[in-house]
Amino acid sequence: MRKFEYAMPRSVDEVFQYLENNAAVKAGGIDLLDRMKEYEISPGRLVNINGIEALRYIKNGNGLRLGPSVTLAELAASKKLTGAWRVIALAAAGAATPQIRNIATLAGNLCQRPRCWYFRSADFHCTRKGGDTCFALDGENQYHAIIGNSDGCVIVHPSAMATALLALDAVIVIENGKDSRTVALADFYMTPAQDIQRETVLQADELITEISVPGTMQGWKSHYNKLKEKQAFDWPLAEVAVALQMDGKRVKDVRVVLGAAAPVPMRSELAEMVLKNSVLTHELARTAAGEAMENAEPLSENGYKVRIFKTMIYRTLCHAAGMDPFAGGV
Amino acid sequence: MSKKYKLKVGVQENLRDLTVEVNDNQPRPWDGSDHLKYIGKEQTRIDGREKVTGRAKYTFDRQLPGMLWARFLRSPYPAAVVKSIDSSEAEKMPGVYAVITVAEKLPMTIRFAGQEILAVAADSDCVAEEAVRRIQIEYDKKPFVVSADEARKADAPRVYSGMNSNMRETRIRPEDARESDYDRLLSGSHVRVDQTYRTQVQTHSAMETHGIVAVWEDARHLKAWASTQGTFAVRNDLADYFGLPKSNVRVITEYMGGGFGAKLGGGIYYIMAARLAKKTGKPVRLMLNRKEEHLSVGNRPDSVQHLQIGADRNGKITAIKLKSYGTAGIGTGAGTSGPARNIYQTDNIYVAETDVLTNAGPGAAFRAPGHPQGVFALEQAIDELAWKLKMDPLEFRRINTAGDERRRVEYRIGAGKIGWHKRNPKAGADKGVIKRGLGVANSVWYYIYGRGFVCSIQVHSDGSVLLTNGVQDIGGGIGTVMAMVVAEELGLKPTDIEVKIGDTQYGLGPASGGSQTTAGITPAVRDAAWAAGQRVLKIAADMMNEKIQNLELADGRILVKNKKEKFITWKKACSKIPGDQFTVSGERVKDNHGLQRRTIAGVQFADVSVDIETGVVTVNKIVAVHDCGRPMDRLTIRNQINGGVIQGISYALFENRILDRNTGVMVNANLEQYKIAGSVDVPQIESVILDVNEGQSSTGAIGIGEPATVPTAAAIANAVYHAIGVRVRELPMTPQRILAALDQTKGVK
Amino acid sequence: MSDSHRKKSGISRRTFIKGLGLSSLGAATLSGEGLKGTLRGTGLLPEERIVPADGTEATFLVNGRKRKVRIEPRTTLAEVLRHRFGLTGTKLGCGRGACGACTVLLDGKAVSSCMTLAIDAAGVPVETIEGLQAKDGTLHPLQEAFIEHDAMQCGFCTSGMIMSGKALLDINPAPDEQEIRESVSGNLCRCGTYPHVFEAIQAAGSKSGIRKTK
Repeated sequence: MRKFEYAMPRSVDEVFQYLENNAAVKAGGIDLLDRMKEYEISPGRLVNINGIEALRYIKNGNGLRLGPSVTLAELAASKKLTGAWRVIALAAAGAATPQIRNIATLAGNLCQRPRCWYFRSADFHCTRKGGDTCFALDGENQYHAIIGNSDGCVIVHPSAMATALLALDAVIVIENGKDSRTVALADFYMTPAQDIQRETVLQADELITEISVPGTMQGWKSHYNKLKEKQAFDWPLAEVAVALQMDGKRVKDVRVVLGAAAPVPMRSELAEMVLKNSVLTHELARTAAGEAMENAEPLSENGYKVRIFKTMIYRTLCHAAGMDPFAGGV
Repeated sequence: MSKKYKLKVGVQENLRDLTVEVNDNQPRPWDGSDHLKYIGKEQTRIDGREKVTGRAKYTFDRQLPGMLWARFLRSPYPAAVVKSIDSSEAEKMPGVYAVITVAEKLPMTIRFAGQEILAVAADSDCVAEEAVRRIQIEYDKKPFVVSADEARKADAPRVYSGMNSNMRETRIRPEDARESDYDRLLSGSHVRVDQTYRTQVQTHSAMETHGIVAVWEDARHLKAWASTQGTFAVRNDLADYFGLPKSNVRVITEYMGGGFGAKLGGGIYYIMAARLAKKTGKPVRLMLNRKEEHLSVGNRPDSVQHLQIGADRNGKITAIKLKSYGTAGIGTGAGTSGPARNIYQTDNIYVAETDVLTNAGPGAAFRAPGHPQGVFALEQAIDELAWKLKMDPLEFRRINTAGDERRRVEYRIGAGKIGWHKRNPKAGADKGVIKRGLGVANSVWYYIYGRGFVCSIQVHSDGSVLLTNGVQDIGGGIGTVMAMVVAEELGLKPTDIEVKIGDTQYGLGPASGGSQTTAGITPAVRDAAWAAGQRVLKIAADMMNEKIQNLELADGRILVKNKKEKFITWKKACSKIPGDQFTVSGERVKDNHGLQRRTIAGVQFADVSVDIETGVVTVNKIVAVHDCGRPMDRLTIRNQINGGVIQGISYALFENRILDRNTGVMVNANLEQYKIAGSVDVPQIESVILDVNEGQSSTGAIGIGEPATVPTAAAIANAVYHAIGVRVRELPMTPQRILAALDQTKGVK
Repeated sequence: MSDSHRKKSGISRRTFIKGLGLSSLGAATLSGEGLKGTLRGTGLLPEERIVPADGTEATFLVNGRKRKVRIEPRTTLAEVLRHRFGLTGTKLGCGRGACGACTVLLDGKAVSSCMTLAIDAAGVPVETIEGLQAKDGTLHPLQEAFIEHDAMQCGFCTSGMIMSGKALLDINPAPDEQEIRESVSGNLCRCGTYPHVFEAIQAAGSKSGIRKTK
């Protein structure tokens, strides 16, 4: 890691005056330090926002408001994240390791860079780093994208929290010291076609100051599942978050979100269309899961992920609805 | 001069008589009739306190005054020629003390991504790392090959120019065998399996990386702390390289953080650290980082094994034919035939093994070299044959290992504990999505021991006892076992014995490899302790006016046999030691009867669940039944068996060194994407230690480290087959492979 | 800033954190405040809001002892503990937060000290393996249990395992096996001592005398 200076603002307003000189915002720092240790980036200054208590809260009233610096461990343990909000706690509890969850923050998780092994290694100057080759495309792509992978970069976005929050129509408040803007989480992420070198719309002089979920989601049912090769600390092959608004047995409204499927966390509108206004049965859940994979275009080594997604979407729908997925037959 | 003893030997439940002849300066060997106080019981580690308080100092922890930190610069390319090196920028940096190259002159040939080119020493790790980044290297990139399959092709780039193929000479056994003879036997068999099995490259990934801290005490004396499994091998390498007498080089390994075979030999890093220390006149620490550990210091070679086995109508194996290819990267030693040659009873075994060279880091011995690979193929093929014959796979094994009493007992115990007889006789018969299966696989390893190891025991007039030997503890707990042996012999407690090991200034000790440490060192320990006991007994006999043969050592006392009330204490007897203390030694000599290359038999049973919609395999339970001769410390043995099983699970399901096919660079050189089983992946493990006394040495100890990891992956693979009715013949058995195997039978959905 | 001032600010911070108590974590307050602090980065540091790259003097609270040392912002907590304070019981297995060998407790919570900047730990109570033993040499129940159950082989992961176990037992004195497995799921042991580690943590938990009703 190269040397850097360290700014320690005590308030949000103070943060912005330090965001110069090749500065990077640091919260938990897990993702940042990993890349700095790899010499992938060498900021001249880190602006530590962890000292700002005002950025760290879980407020449950009319909707849910989360401070960006709340840790994954705090989310996982929070007694406020029940009902529809449970999907957030489940995603947080399943991420990384206990040691990392104690430090890693919500906004840090949302903004972390991809885990693609080519992107992460100093040995590869890939398209996302400004190079002209996506090494995964014809290389070792078993963990890469099965959807939206035709734009020069085939990463999957690694944020578990994004997968969960997208199912709740989360909104992000972004400030730059002068203005504040609100961005739907769905619009927060950028595809490689939009910008191959960035995953989010967040600018270098901006800070996430709140993540919120609208009160209209209250009363929905939700669930989150991930499938990993290894059960202790592993990145998922597939992640699914589901939020259901039920009207008796009928699905009134629904969100089906896929993580580890595409370069951005994505809602599967194909699946949602199948489900909406229909009576939720095991068969319907299967159909929706199959439909969700209609636009999958796997790479040379990751075709198996399609099957896994079909399973995980089906199971997560069942779990969210309180149905036993294994009661539905193969 | 020698004495004869009549011993009870064999598997504990069925002992037989054996008369052995033992040297005069050795005790009667322990046998099946001995019920000992410590040996064979559970003993906690004598150095446990140091490890749980963080006081145990590893090489990684050594910090010496003025110590410099060294870092390597490694080639990012798998095949290249280094044309020029410009280190002027780095050398100008404040805090940089030296830059030295591996090669004496350029050009230097690079054969794998990660090969060492030069090393830098600086006053901090950060400076050394930054200095490396400022060095300019001009490479001439060359064509390379990293896949073993590609490397075998005639037009593949050559790893070593001048060789007309990347395939090393094939080893055929029996040497004079004619392949066609075996083909005839196989084609004439009632049933036959002819399949190809593949295993991946696994890296050792010890928690403490390889490394050394070297310091020159003066121009002719070199001292080094090394994270090694062979202190004496490192000493010899260093002495050789620098032209020093061995007596002037001292290597210390007080604690070391795991090795599994990768730390047996010397390495470039030892030499480079000592060279830097010599050049700078300062102590130099050179510990590899995790990435370097994956790339450059060893791995378990991969394998492609074409295996044919035939059997007759009654389930007797008619012939085994194995053709195997393995790659140890730029190194050799990728054979897998041990299991095929050493488990089943047939005279017709043909093996041909070929090492394939690739542009990848060199392989190294890895916990039972060749055997987890070999057993993965052999034990699946055996299973396939049994299923073809519609025989119980366990019964099939019983028939073909009928002469081995240990296996017979192990099968019975293991089958009982896993519930073998309650299993569904059909494969893939479970209803539903999560299917359960049971599998079994045999383990095989060999009784190996070296000779010439010397232990010294010093007994002082205050009764204290010091045991010394150069052997290092790689985690098996050899120091504790040594203390147990001394305590047993002298009637003291293990905690009464001060044990000093891991230093080449003590007597020669074994390298910790091949599961030979306990077998190699404990007889020398016992012989030394016995000699010490005889000295003290002689003193006591005079003090007590008794004949020495009427006395025995127990509970810190010297007792008159059958007259337990008459005794003096150990301390009191020791107080009369002439000249304050005495030292005796014991040397590991040849066994009193021939067991060399005796196999070590074991069997493991696996209970797994397979989710056929995700391909995830969950291991529910492993039953591991193992022979390790006369067990020494059951607590640490159980721990080692657990460890072997867990490494086997990790090998079976997760681990895989992935080299990018287009650049030859390892993409998962970390502990995040190189996946090693963690706490949540560990099943219930039930281990059973089979007591087998042979009386071959004074302790009868044999090893356990390797046997425990050999059969796990194969047992899991067989259980997976039982669960889903489809064979997975390639490791690791990831969801990807399980789903692909399922697809093959059903047609892609 | 004077020494006394530093001391005061650090201790008051701790007092504040302590006073909050654990129960507030689960309290269903609408205000939403009351998250227990870790890594606020406002510890015993000089008042300047920008620490230069060449470093600053910072005070650490390690195992109940105050230690002042000069650090660079890039210095990790693991480096300070190992190289400056000689507390080498904390190991490094990967340097990237993937193996848990460097686990220490920061304000009572298990963290990877290799991925924690030392500057963030200044003024925050840090507990390492060396701090578990009582002054009279008595071992912590976890340490005793690790010896008793032989929950170690090479020992390189052991410090981290024990610290993760302690983080669990401090808040849950009688965990079940699943909770134990989860608590050490960020700790790799290549020797494969896990089954004995589970036993040891369980035993140390029950030694505390609290039984979990299940």
